[in-house]
Amino acid sequence: MSRPFLSIRAVRKTFGAFVAVHDVTIDVPKGEFLTFLGPSGSGKSTTLYAIAGFQDPSSGDVLLEDKSLLSVPSHKRNIGMVFQRYTLFPHLSVAENVAFPLRVRRRPDTEVKRKVGDMLGLVRLEKFADRYPGALSGGQQQRVALARALAYDPPILLMDEPLSALDKKLRQEIQAEIRRIHRETGVTILYVTHDQEEALHLSDRIALFKEGRIEQIGTGEDLYLRPVSEFVAGFIGNSNFLSAEHLQTTAGAATVRLADGSIVTGVKATTPFGQGQKVRLMVRPEAFRLTPGPASAALAVEIVDTSFFGDRRRVVARTAGGDEIDVRPTSDAQATDSATTSGQRIFFDPASAFLFPA
Amino acid sequence: MLLDYDRLGWLRVALAGFTALVAAFLLLPVVFIVLLSFGSSRWLAFPPPGWTLKWYQQLLADPAWIDAALTSAKIAAMAAILAVAIGLFASFSLVRGEFRGRQVLRGLLLTPMVLPVVVFAIAIYAFFLRIGLAGTTIGFVIAHTILALPFAIIPITAALEGFDKSIEDAAIVCGASPLQARLRITLPSIRIGIFSAAIFAFLASWDEVVVAIFMASPTLQTLPVKIWGSLRADLSPVVAAASSLLVGLTLCLMIATALLRRKLSR
Ligand SMILES: Nc1ncnc2c1ncn2[C@@H]1O[C@H](COP(=O)(O)OP(=O)(O)OP(=O)(O)O)[C@@H](O)[C@H]1O
Ligand SMILES: [Mg+2]
Repeated sequence: MSRPFLSIRAVRKTFGAFVAVHDVTIDVPKGEFLTFLGPSGSGKSTTLYAIAGFQDPSSGDVLLEDKSLLSVPSHKRNIGMVFQRYTLFPHLSVAENVAFPLRVRRRPDTEVKRKVGDMLGLVRLEKFADRYPGALSGGQQQRVALARALAYDPPILLMDEPLSALDKKLRQEIQAEIRRIHRETGVTILYVTHDQEEALHLSDRIALFKEGRIEQIGTGEDLYLRPVSEFVAGFIGNSNFLSAEHLQTTAGAATVRLADGSIVTGVKATTPFGQGQKVRLMVRPEAFRLTPGPASAALAVEIVDTSFFGDRRRVVARTAGGDEIDVRPTSDAQATDSATTSGQRIFFDPASAFLFPA
Repeated sequence: MLLDYDRLGWLRVALAGFTALVAAFLLLPVVFIVLLSFGSSRWLAFPPPGWTLKWYQQLLADPAWIDAALTSAKIAAMAAILAVAIGLFASFSLVRGEFRGRQVLRGLLLTPMVLPVVVFAIAIYAFFLRIGLAGTTIGFVIAHTILALPFAIIPITAALEGFDKSIEDAAIVCGASPLQARLRITLPSIRIGIFSAAIFAFLASWDEVVVAIFMASPTLQTLPVKIWGSLRADLSPVVAAASSLLVGLTLCLMIATALLRRKLSR
């Protein structure tokens, strides 16, 4: 394996007795789009700030191409950053904002001019060059901030929830822009968000944070299809959790008893469970079928509500055990409308379900 | 709300009347002085028997008055510059600093505003007498800087509190040193506050009379001191003219501030 471009090594940050970041270690290859995902307070920003140099880690190291960044002051790290808050310089025009990092680097005027033009072109705001930040929308301000952060060709771009202040539609629009810019510039991006859809949409890899640790790191598919814990399964995508009791595991296939007494066999078990141990069975909403298929397990439910969303149908069902479950059958199973009557059974492939300790 | 203006009914009339009365009470003396300064009566008779500019001519022809006005302007300008400079440092540590006793320091820096001026004047006069600064321009400037400091600190602190520190951080990741970031980004962003601070500090010194009376010497007099002295010596309309000029300049500065603030904040 080639040496990592950016290496975060056992970074730890404590505030008094409180440990905000526990020995986080990540290697980031050049050009990767890595997202820190996690609930509020899980240490994403703190980790990012350690890379930016706003917060010195209590221990650990951050290496860029094998050289430690920690002894380099923030302004000499040559890192790009877009903040959650609007941070354009209010007294400078859009063009002067983008030019600022070049001017403090004393680049010649001709180069500054050309680069500002290129950058405003990149974020498609050429026409706004002479505007002042106060006369821009939130989305435009963040795009200018992006142009400013990229103007000096930083090797790494840090983004701390840059879109969280924007409404949903605008967010999606700028996500598409960010993807395009990542493709066009090839810059290595570390992106922070607590929106799992945004993370899945943008990233090559996602590091899922929980209470200052990385719970799991991998591609969106890894986290979605192979979650290592109930926390990951619950955070990425939609999930239904059913209480169950573990009976036995043979060759990685577990047999469990659900709350209503029915037995399900052939569930993937990645960790060993004891006999009689309380477990939670996780089934994705789209793994349910309304009609029985080959090798499917059945679940007796009462259909509470059915709604139609054009491309798919959403059914809310309640198990005998009282768990409410979300069912989004894929189109092949939508043929029957009989599912809307009560006293139904729904089906799922046990191999697509996950087992976690309760 | 209890005191909703739209629902006051007939009380509105009473309120308007009362407000007018208070305004008149505050403004009428000034208006009288200005009118008298243009009146031809040597004895400040009202209404004036005729109108004239001769008091202003006398005023502008008297080097003592011109001298006093220049002294005032010079001291006020120096006090304003010093107060703004000190106020900037003080505001940064009050707003950004994380040390114990920050609130105490803030209180201390604002005391000149609430302390009875006479008490302050006597104290600083006694002190300056001892160290030989009484009656000197430097002493004058120091005393007025202390008095002007709260007027500088309040607007600068307010502006700094309204300025998002992340913007300064953004300048730093962009490659500006912390000092550069403050000089090139933070200071221009809070320039309205700094500008207001300069004007208020200037005015605090410009029309200050109590400390000035203690600090003054026969050769070092500010305009308010000269007015005060002339009033006690002889009640001439020239004093009214000088007062009018004092009021006029203050008014001009206030209007200029308001206009500039509006222009800058756009
Ligand atoms: N300066 C500080 N002093 C004390 N505690 C802090 C400080 N900064 C952060 N923390 C704590 O560290 C923990 C992690 O904070 P951090 O800002 O990294 O979370 P986050 O994952 O970015 O959350 P969010 O999504 O809300 O931004 C939080 O519990 C926070 O309260
Ligand atoms: Mg954060």
